[in-house]
Amino acid sequence: MNSTAMMTSAPALTLDGSTVPPRDLIGGKAWSLARMLSLGLRVPPAFVIPVPQCRQYLESDSGLADEVAHAVREGIADLEHRTGRRFGDPDNPLLVSVRSGAAVSMPGMMDTILNLGMTDEIEAALAKSTGNPTYARDTHARFCHAFGDIVLKADLDPYVTGPTSSDVRDAVLSDTRRTIPVDPHAQLEDAICAVFDSWQSSRAKAYRRHWKIAEEGGTAVTVQAMVFGNLDERSGTGVLFTRNPLSGAPDPYGEWLPKGQGDDVVGGTHAVLTLAQMQQDLPEAVEELLGWADALEREHTEVQDIEFTVESGTVFLLQTRAAKRSPEAAVRIAVDLVDEGLIDPLQALSRVTPEQVRSVLMPSLEADVAASAETLATGEPACPGIATGVGVEDPDEAVTRATQGEKIVLVRPTTSPNDVHGMIAAVAVVTDLGGATSHAAVVTRALGRPSVVGVGTGVASTLIGRELTVDGRTGRVYDGVLQLAETRVEDDETLGRIATWAAESCAINVAQQAPSGVDVVDLDLLIAGLEDPDAGLDEDSIVTALAGREAARGAVFTSEDGVRAAHRARVLVVNDSPLLVQLTALRTLGTA
Amino acid sequence: MTDLDFLAVHGLAIRKAGSPASVATLLGADETEVAAALDEAVAADRVAGARGTFMVTAAGQAWLSQSYPDKFGAVRADDDLVHAYDRFEKVNVDLRTLMTDWQTMPAGDTRVSNDHSDPDYDAKIIDRLGALHERAERVIGRAAAVVPRLQTHLDRLESAYDSVLAGHHDYVSGVRIDSYHTVWFELHEDLLRILDRTRQE
Repeated sequence: MNSTAMMTSAPALTLDGSTVPPRDLIGGKAWSLARMLSLGLRVPPAFVIPVPQCRQYLESDSGLADEVAHAVREGIADLEHRTGRRFGDPDNPLLVSVRSGAAVSMPGMMDTILNLGMTDEIEAALAKSTGNPTYARDTHARFCHAFGDIVLKADLDPYVTGPTSSDVRDAVLSDTRRTIPVDPHAQLEDAICAVFDSWQSSRAKAYRRHWKIAEEGGTAVTVQAMVFGNLDERSGTGVLFTRNPLSGAPDPYGEWLPKGQGDDVVGGTHAVLTLAQMQQDLPEAVEELLGWADALEREHTEVQDIEFTVESGTVFLLQTRAAKRSPEAAVRIAVDLVDEGLIDPLQALSRVTPEQVRSVLMPSLEADVAASAETLATGEPACPGIATGVGVEDPDEAVTRATQGEKIVLVRPTTSPNDVHGMIAAVAVVTDLGGATSHAAVVTRALGRPSVVGVGTGVASTLIGRELTVDGRTGRVYDGVLQLAETRVEDDETLGRIATWAAESCAINVAQQAPSGVDVVDLDLLIAGLEDPDAGLDEDSIVTALAGREAARGAVFTSEDGVRAAHRARVLVVNDSPLLVQLTALRTLGTA
Repeated sequence: MTDLDFLAVHGLAIRKAGSPASVATLLGADETEVAAALDEAVAADRVAGARGTFMVTAAGQAWLSQSYPDKFGAVRADDDLVHAYDRFEKVNVDLRTLMTDWQTMPAGDTRVSNDHSDPDYDAKIIDRLGALHERAERVIGRAAAVVPRLQTHLDRLESAYDSVLAGHHDYVSGVRIDSYHTVWFELHEDLLRILDRTRQE
C-alpha cells in the first residue's frame, strides 16, 4: 500500500498543532494554519477533509460518501466542544467558514464562504443580543448572497445593504431554480460538494491543461469556526504589518476596527483606528499580537501582513502572508533584514526587482520647486511618475506632433478606445472626468504614462497649448516645464548597499562609463534602424550584433534576452544605472 | 449597399484605425470581403487608408451617425437587448475595479503599481477575472441572441482569457494587443453605438 492510499483512510483531520500534515494532503491553506498552530499561535479551531476524499467524491458520482458525512458531523461536534458553541443554536451559535485548498492554488477553485450555519432564528437572536437588527439582517442576507453566488452560481448583483435574506433567497431561486438550505448541516454538505465540484470547473481544467498539472489530484476542504469580532466592546478585527509598508521603517503598522468583522477593514467601509489607539483599549492583546508578529517574521524571514480578530479580549490569528510594499519599502526592508541577520545579501537581492529600483530612481519634484510653481489643475493620481510637455486635446494631433519630436500631454474630457493611439504618443494624460478605475487610468497604467484624472469638467480644455508638468503621484498639474530632481544610486545609502552586493555577485561586467579608448556599440541605434523596431532583437540576434565588440550599451540590456546575450558574448555593458542591468542579470543568469 | 459595407466602417470606427484583418476579426467576418468593403468606403471618402491601415474620415463618421438610426433602430427598441446592456454596465463596473486591482496593489493605506512580483496576488485577480468572465458569458449571450454578431466579442474574450491562463499575463490589460481589456472596450463601444448611449466616463 502506498502512502496516499493509507491517507485515504482518514475522512477528516483535526488541526490542533500536534502535527503538520503534508501540504499535498490537506492543501495550502490548511497547511499554513497547521504551521501557525505548531508555532504556538492561536487560530480559530478547524478541521480539514483531505484531498483523497475529493478524488473519491468525483469518481463515485453519488454525492458525499456516508463515511465523510459522518466525519463532518464529528468534526463539527469537535468545533462545538472547542468553542463552547452549538451549530444552529440561536442562543450561542457556532458559525463556520468553508474554504477550498489544493496543494497548488489554481483559478476556478471555490471562493470562501463565511458565516455558514446562519438561520432565521440565529438572525433574530443576533438582532436581540447586539441590539442592531440591521447588522443581523445584513449578516444573514450576505451569507445567503455568498451561498447563492458561490455554491449555486446565481447571477446576482454585488450585495449592498438593504435586501433581506428572503429577498436574496427569492432572487437565487428565480435565477437557478435551486434553494439555499435552511438546515446548517445541509448548508455545510452542499458547500463541501461545491468545493469538490470546483476541481472540475472549466477554468481549473483549462489551467491544468496549460500547466500540465495532473487531472487526478483534487482539493481539500477546510472548515473553521468563525470568531466574533462584533461581540462586544473588547472585540474587533484588524490587520498588522510587521513593518511600515510605505517607508519600510521597522515599526509595526496596524489598522484596527473595534466591533468589526472580517471584510469590514478590507472593504474600506468603516473608519479604522491605529495600533496606538488599539493599545489604549486592549494593551494585553496588542502585546501578544506584537510577539506573534515577531515570531512570524522570523519564521518566514520576511515582512508579514497579518489578519487578526479579537473576540472578548482574546486575539485570534486568521491569516499571515508576505506583505505588499512600496518600491522604497522593498529596498529598505531587504537591507534591514540583512542587518538583522534574518537573510543574506543574495536573498536581499532576490527581494528587490529591477522595476522597484526603476521606480525609486524615477525623477521627482522637490518640495520647494512644487511649492513655488502654479498649480493649474488638481485631480486623482492615476498612474505615478512625472512628465513635462505641451497640452494637446486631439489624439491624432498628439500622434503627429509626437512623431516630430515634441513632448505631448494629452488633455481630454475623457478617454475611450478611440484615443489610445494618442495616449501611446503622449508622455502624460490629464482628463476632466473619471476616477482610479476609469479607462484613462487603466490604459495609462498599462502604458506606464503618468496621469491625473477627474480634474473637473472643462478644466482640461484650459490646458490646451500650455507647457505643463504632470505629477501622477500627487495628482497635480503645474504650469510650465519644472526642474525635476534625479535620484542617483550613489546618493542613497540603502540603494548603494544593494548596488555593492549586486556588483559583487553579477555574472556580467557592467560599468557606468566606458573605459577610455574602448569603442561602445549602441544597440538602441541598431534597433531603431530595423524594419520593425517594435519587434526588437532576440538573444541570438544580439549575440550576432555583439560579435567582435568589447563593450555595448542599450535598453535591451535590462531584458532577459539582453543579459543572456551579453553573458554569451562576454562584453562589457555600459549603462547609466548599472544596478538595473545587474539585478536583471542576477534574476536571469544567477550569481557569478 | 450591402450590410458589410456599413459594418466594415462601423467596425473600423470602433477600432479607430486598423487593417482589414483586424476589422474582420472584430466583426467575425471574412477578411477578403472586409477588405473589398473598405476599398469601396475609400472610394466613397468615408475611409482613408495607406499601406493596409485604414481610418474613418470625418465624412465617414457623419455618415455612420446618420446610418445608425436606420441600421439599429429596430434593436434599440428590443427589451432583451436593453436589459442585457444594463447587466453589461454592471459587470463593466466590476471589470474596471478588477483592472485597477491588476495594475496596482495595496501598500498600507495607499496603492502602488503592481510590479507582478507577487504570484499569489496576481493569481487571485486572474481567478476573479475568470468569475467575471462567467458572468459576461451570460450577459453577452443574451445580447447575442438579439444581435448574433456580438458573439464574436465573446469568443475573443474567451481567447484572451485562455491566453492569460496559459501565463501570457499581457492579455489582461495590454494596450497594443487583443487583451481582455482591449476586447471588452471594443464590445462596450459597439454596444454604445448600437444603442445610442454615451460612455459614463
